[in-house]
Amino acid sequence: MKEVLQSLQNVQEIIKESISVEYFYQACKNRFKLSKLTDGDIGLDKIIKDRNIHRPGLALAGYTKLFTFERVQILGNTEVRYLKHLSKKERSKVLRKFFSFDIPCVCLTFDNKPTEEFMELAVKNNTAVFISPLPTTKFAYFISDFLDDQFSPQIALHGSFVDVYGVGLLFYGRSGIGKSEIALDLIERGHRLVSDDVVMISRKGEGILMGSGTDLVKHFMEIRGLGIIDVRSIFGIRAIRFQKRVELIVNLEEWSAKKEYTRTGLDESLISVLGVEIPFIRLPIFPGKNITVISEVIALNYLCKHYGYDAAKTLSGKLDDALRKKYKQKTGNVEFERSVEYLEHDFE
Amino acid sequence: MNKAGMHTRPASLLVKIASRFKADFYIIKDGFQINGKSIIGVMSLAAEYGSTVTLTFDGPDESKAAAEITKFFEEGFGEL
Repeated sequence: MKEVLQSLQNVQEIIKESISVEYFYQACKNRFKLSKLTDGDIGLDKIIKDRNIHRPGLALAGYTKLFTFERVQILGNTEVRYLKHLSKKERSKVLRKFFSFDIPCVCLTFDNKPTEEFMELAVKNNTAVFISPLPTTKFAYFISDFLDDQFSPQIALHGSFVDVYGVGLLFYGRSGIGKSEIALDLIERGHRLVSDDVVMISRKGEGILMGSGTDLVKHFMEIRGLGIIDVRSIFGIRAIRFQKRVELIVNLEEWSAKKEYTRTGLDESLISVLGVEIPFIRLPIFPGKNITVISEVIALNYLCKHYGYDAAKTLSGKLDDALRKKYKQKTGNVEFERSVEYLEHDFE
Repeated sequence: MNKAGMHTRPASLLVKIASRFKADFYIIKDGFQINGKSIIGVMSLAAEYGSTVTLTFDGPDESKAAAEITKFFEEGFGEL
């Protein structure tokens, strides 16, 4: 049984509505070997509002009815060769039409150099032109991924995020319940801290949540009664990582006799975060309970399930088999042989 | 807000005050919402002089908490 819980309360989504071409250029310059062909800050003040990209083949061929000009325009070999094969007059007409739209910026791939006229029109229309040596498909893939990340919704969660045996465990719970202490204990046992107290979570593609720390506080954490410590400087590089997929949310709560906790693990609770459903485990805590070891087991059990072994289901299946066998021995009947029991005078 | 912004000392005072109350206390700045009872959280906001923050309170003693924390802000974190 799967139960989808209400989404986390009191959480505000942050959505970027646009990025400037300047920001786009600075972020992609080294990553995707992007160089700027236009001088100075021509076109850098324009903004990108769409996470998608566009290859304007048809627009260059003259069909501009459905031209998604507000997207980053990528010109590959096809577009550049097409422009080349046109006569000078035709090319001029096509380019004028192309640049008459309010394009955020143009990227050329495969180191395809634009013509002089192309550059003149770009400058005239305050549009930045970039060039990259990468093949078009690869470049388009990278840029899409980058823009997708920029425009995906984010939230800041109050919790501790640790990579335990490669499983992203996000500890959640009220202030002062001991999330940081559990994280510290896990680090001590060789696991890696992603972030403590403030975890930035963003949705990647469909159904993946990525979590990381904030730029300022990264791997600093507060331990009550001790103050602020820097995990990286104390435990070294092995104790940290910068980002991790969020795979499980462990909600720490004071044990209460009134609440019911799962005893079999057959029913899975899910919680919706940014529209992604994530397994949610309610973990009651009380003095003397070793949450660290339990957390490790939670991670390992998740891995087992991921690789196809579900302990709760297996044991439940074994029990069913044993019951069936006993029934057979006692009654001599082979159970479940016919789908219907004997029906009197039913000759139909 | 205080000229030096929300630096370490006022941040720790704020967290101490907030922790005395049962009510949930959140600070929102530039769309980021953090728990006002967490020192790392408050520091990560890097709220500079003149910046605008929104405070939310929710819980049994919310009005008391709101009054005290607003006072703390208005007094420039006791540093003016």
